[in-house]
Amino acid sequence: MTSVSFQPRSVLFDKGVIRRVYERRVRLALGVPPTPAHVEAANVYAQLCTPPRRLYITEQTAHILDRRPPFFAAPFLTETSPLQKGRYLRRWARRLRELTFAPEDAIVVAYGSFGIDERFSSIGVEAIVTNDLKLATHFQAHQAEIVHRFYDMTAQLPAPYTALTLPAVVTTASILAQA
Amino acid sequence: METLIVDAEGKVTIPPEVLHKCGLRPGDTVALIESAEGLLVYHGGVDPQTLAWWQALSDEDKQRAAVEARHYEALSDAERDALWNEGAETLEADAEDDERELPAS
Repeated sequence: MTSVSFQPRSVLFDKGVIRRVYERRVRLALGVPPTPAHVEAANVYAQLCTPPRRLYITEQTAHILDRRPPFFAAPFLTETSPLQKGRYLRRWARRLRELTFAPEDAIVVAYGSFGIDERFSSIGVEAIVTNDLKLATHFQAHQAEIVHRFYDMTAQLPAPYTALTLPAVVTTASILAQA
Repeated sequence: METLIVDAEGKVTIPPEVLHKCGLRPGDTVALIESAEGLLVYHGGVDPQTLAWWQALSDEDKQRAAVEARHYEALSDAERDALWNEGAETLEADAEDDERELPAS
């Protein structure tokens, strides 16, 4: 895991985190106790909602929530914003695949650098929050090679893409451990 | 983060201020989870964001939410996984038409 003093200004929630917070609310509506994974995700989500900061989801997560009952899905779509796919996002994701990231993981990590928020003309986020320990561990284990490949790629791109940075990849458990 | 000391009987004492802050009372159940980061302690309270969402619903909305929740919980794990995997993104170069240039600031 990436260890950070966790007060990022911008965060991208992995789909799995949003799913668990959603399911925590489903369980509350039923009066059924949540699992520890639900509680972990919900506590981190609540922690990152206060104070207000830029909270993001991917376009896929937004589309999934759009199809879910508004009782449960609407708050997420209000509290977070979908990042748009910026130019070169898939190119970077394909290079991450060469480091044996799963396709879905490669996309999420690529959103962390090439995801666009058109409201602020901003690109990338400071941190990706995931409940997927495997993703975070893989990112950490290959960090030196990821950094090398990232700057090798962005150095060949036109401005402003040359100034992009890599996000931290942080697990929900590690955030709670630092709280 | 609090540091707790395990005594000879394997017991730990949670400081009173933490008990108060978390609303824990004698007899409450907590879960101890082994994770890569170490041991994590969870209790059954509701986080403020979830609580605010729930309290903002009218009684009628809560009943309708419970109906929707029952539908969701009735799905199999595979059905729930499929639901959350809808619209998976492709990495192929020929799909890059939907990628956007960073707008001028």
